[in-house]
Amino acid sequence: MTSTTAAQGSQAGGRTLSRRMFLKTVTIGAGSVAAGCSSGNSHGGITLTQWYHQYGEAGTEQAVIRYAQEFTKAYPHIRIKVVWVPGDYKTKLATALLVPGGPDVFESSLTLPMAQAAQVAPLDDLFTPAVRADFSPRDLEANTVGNTLYGVKMLDDTGILYFRKSLLAAAGVAPPTTMDELIAAARKLNTPNRKGLFLGNDGGVTSMLNVLPWSAGSDFLKGSQIVFDNDRTVEAYEKLKELNDSGALLIGAPTDWWDPSALIQGMAAMQWTGLWAYPAIRRALGDDVGGMAWPALDAQGSPATFLGGWTSMVNAQGHHIPESKELVKWLWIQNTAIQRDWCLSYGFHVPPRKTVAATAAALKAPIPARAVRDLSEHGHALPPAWSSSMNTILTDAVSGILKQGHSGVAAVKTASQLCQRELDRLLV
Amino acid sequence: MKHHQSVVSRLLSYLVLGVLAVLFLIPFYLLLRNALMTDPQITSTRWSWLPIPPVWSNFHKLFTDPAAPMATGLINSGIIAVTTLVFQMLFSSMAGYALARIPARGRNVVFGLIVSTLMIPAAVTFVPTYAVTAFLGGINTRWGIIVPGLFSAFSIFLFRQFYLGFPVEIEEAGRLDGLGYAGIYWRLLLPNSRSILMALGVLAFISSWNAFLWPLVIGQDPSSWTVQVVLSTFLTAQTLNLSELFAAALVGIAPLVIVFLLMQRSIVEGAKFSGGKG
Amino acid sequence: MTVETTQAKLESENTPTPRKRGGRSSREATLAFWGFVTPALAGLTIFTLAPIVWGLLLSFSHAQNTIRIGHFVGLRNYEDLLTDPAFLNSLVTVAIFAAFIVPLTYLVSLGLALAVERVTAGRSFFRTVFFIPSAVSYVVASLIWKVSLFNGLSFGFANQVIGKFGSGPVAWIGATHPPWYWFVLVTVRLWLQVGFFMIIFMAGLQEIPRTVYEAAAVDGAGAWTTFRRITLPHLRNTSIAVMLLTLIAAFQAFDEFYNILGGVGASAGNQVLARPPLIYLYSLALSDQDFGRGTAGAFILTALILIVTLVQGKALGFGRSEE
Repeated sequence: MTSTTAAQGSQAGGRTLSRRMFLKTVTIGAGSVAAGCSSGNSHGGITLTQWYHQYGEAGTEQAVIRYAQEFTKAYPHIRIKVVWVPGDYKTKLATALLVPGGPDVFESSLTLPMAQAAQVAPLDDLFTPAVRADFSPRDLEANTVGNTLYGVKMLDDTGILYFRKSLLAAAGVAPPTTMDELIAAARKLNTPNRKGLFLGNDGGVTSMLNVLPWSAGSDFLKGSQIVFDNDRTVEAYEKLKELNDSGALLIGAPTDWWDPSALIQGMAAMQWTGLWAYPAIRRALGDDVGGMAWPALDAQGSPATFLGGWTSMVNAQGHHIPESKELVKWLWIQNTAIQRDWCLSYGFHVPPRKTVAATAAALKAPIPARAVRDLSEHGHALPPAWSSSMNTILTDAVSGILKQGHSGVAAVKTASQLCQRELDRLLV
Repeated sequence: MKHHQSVVSRLLSYLVLGVLAVLFLIPFYLLLRNALMTDPQITSTRWSWLPIPPVWSNFHKLFTDPAAPMATGLINSGIIAVTTLVFQMLFSSMAGYALARIPARGRNVVFGLIVSTLMIPAAVTFVPTYAVTAFLGGINTRWGIIVPGLFSAFSIFLFRQFYLGFPVEIEEAGRLDGLGYAGIYWRLLLPNSRSILMALGVLAFISSWNAFLWPLVIGQDPSSWTVQVVLSTFLTAQTLNLSELFAAALVGIAPLVIVFLLMQRSIVEGAKFSGGKG
Repeated sequence: MTVETTQAKLESENTPTPRKRGGRSSREATLAFWGFVTPALAGLTIFTLAPIVWGLLLSFSHAQNTIRIGHFVGLRNYEDLLTDPAFLNSLVTVAIFAAFIVPLTYLVSLGLALAVERVTAGRSFFRTVFFIPSAVSYVVASLIWKVSLFNGLSFGFANQVIGKFGSGPVAWIGATHPPWYWFVLVTVRLWLQVGFFMIIFMAGLQEIPRTVYEAAAVDGAGAWTTFRRITLPHLRNTSIAVMLLTLIAAFQAFDEFYNILGGVGASAGNQVLARPPLIYLYSLALSDQDFGRGTAGAFILTALILIVTLVQGKALGFGRSEE
């Protein structure tokens, strides 16, 4: 450090960057970065991370936190950290499960690749024969891959076509029993300020993708075969196109089909959404609302609805698998009070366990009772082998039919071939 | 006649510019207006141009909303952006200087390697980089969001260009005074790199503040969310709360707009340097 | 290249510097070089180069729900994608998108630069107004566009405007005939990026010496001829740079598509309408969890971008120096 350079430095004075400032910022920056690092456990026990997606109903987040606290009361050395994930849960979960450090327990739907890639832990030992008998066979099937159970169903969802009784009466329309009647009803109920029917902002591509072919008597995947390449499926999608072309569908609502605001705020006279929305709809519209399964396509078909919901699973890459399994068992197998609370106190879901559903008073009301009946008679589910890529392929095909005028027969055939290729790859 | 022509063309320019300026300002106007209105006012079919009276409580609601950790988001974004700014400038200028001014074997190979990464879009590396960060324990940590963003081949490239054009006399004077490479860098080059540091620094700050996808997948826990992630959860949430959404967006861009207005000149000079010389 | 060098220049002028023979000891140089370069190089290696290699290996593997390499399948992923109608469609989509946005950005930013350069009073005001959108993120801009400006209900600003002309509300984002969502997507990107390129053009315009214009005026050249014969040629390198940057950015479009057409499941039916490759690859990798195919697609896209930029460069005479 010579005097000349120092002189240069000080001469530069006001116009140069103060190096001392720079150093200071660097140190503070490094410090705050380090401070942001996650700290370890301080209470001596273990902490499990549990992920939920953001449920739309009020009170749900507080509820799951409460359940977690109750669990810790029963198992004092296990703390639960609940992570409530808004937005694109599926993607966030997928990335989290790829690498170490993801959630210990999470909710999702079981897919075949998850089991194949050993992302989820087998949960057979949680199910005694008595417990097994108490779950609906379809719920067990949906969570089974190769004779092993990988998840416990937390709640069952089903779809309902809600309609405003007064508006139907005013238009002189009876609740439709076939697709043609539905299209006619939607047309009659359509006014400039209130559309006839809301199926989602994409005209029903997503919400009706599976339900319509089911209502036509078709299906998607059986065993190792893709089975939707038939004229019933084509007919179903072409009817959807007819519905779109009628101009009676609400497009561009602020929220999508799973949120009942379109119906509640009077943007549409009918809406396809789920049982989960029943409390909100009932609160807003009281007795002026009716509900039914999606009508049969025609005389050959039958009404249809979907069996959906969420399953609790254990991350096979987690560090505390026995404790995680304990949590799942405690919550969703043993604690029937929690199951009832979770399914019925916030949104509205059917408890997957028959004994719990039987004692639920809330399910006795007309619309929920009908939904439960429709679910058992007309409910359909997709098997674990139906992968997300097959869903994309089919969605593209239907979108092409609806929005780009593609031929139904050609689109369905191509989709079927592509899906079969996916399936073959999966099952290899 | 020429004078007349230029007056007419001048007026035309003003007119066109005026119209365009209004169009360009509309989004900001909408943001401000909606942030200061209630939901029913926003969705009402009768349009009100001015939010009178302005609903300041939207901001209070925003910062007390447990589902939208806006304050945390601001703090996180701030720390991340400043850290990125400082360290990216530090590392890039160091590397740029070395590549431009320090003769060493392998210099060209290193430069080639760095430039080659410019060719590959981020999409290719996204998932593997995520995996690397995860294996290093960076998920859900602030450093996991920051560190991968500290290394910008683009900045290194520009710094190298800049130092290539730096007058040799300065370095020679420094060497006369007995400074080594480190001394020359720290005492002579860096203080005189103000324009490029400010320009690239501000760009680094802005791009870090506005980054969306990376913080989204790294920051799984709400306590590590940045402003963009918080905003995005508003957009994709189950229930839409319009006034809060716009208030959040306004708060989200306010720091950047302020930085931008203050640093505009530096950015303009930097842009001149990087692009104008084609 | 201009750089502030005043004080040091003064010093060296006063003490004439003897020509340096050779350099410092090469060991010191080597040490210094690696000392300076290592942080950036190490970072790039760990977080960019290594992932590129890993991604390449993944693209040759069957990686479903995992990112471990091991199950090699050669070029199968590449073949699958190149015969995948959805992927091919996405390439066409992005090519069309680029075909609109590149010339539009070029024309608008050049036009703005010319206009702003021409006015004297309020120049810095106009410059600010057009440039400030660069500070806004794609997320916020998408938010404004989707929820307020182009909302499909009657309270959307655009609908209010056309309402004044008697038209009913248009579902800008949901409707397919006509595909208004393209208008929404293009305008948001224009708004966000035009200001930056305007600045670059303005810098380029300021480089053109006054004397050239004066000479042209003396020769009686009109405005259009001046523009074509003088302004444009002087802006050649800038123009190429601008078009290259917009092109590369357009091919990697993601943020506005994700946020406006919706990244979350339910409006998937709408996403198909305008799905650029990165959105498709994102869903392939992160929703379908097919990481082999996702990375293969990213490499195909990279190759495509390279090809297109080379073609554009050839067509516009990239590298041919003129001044």
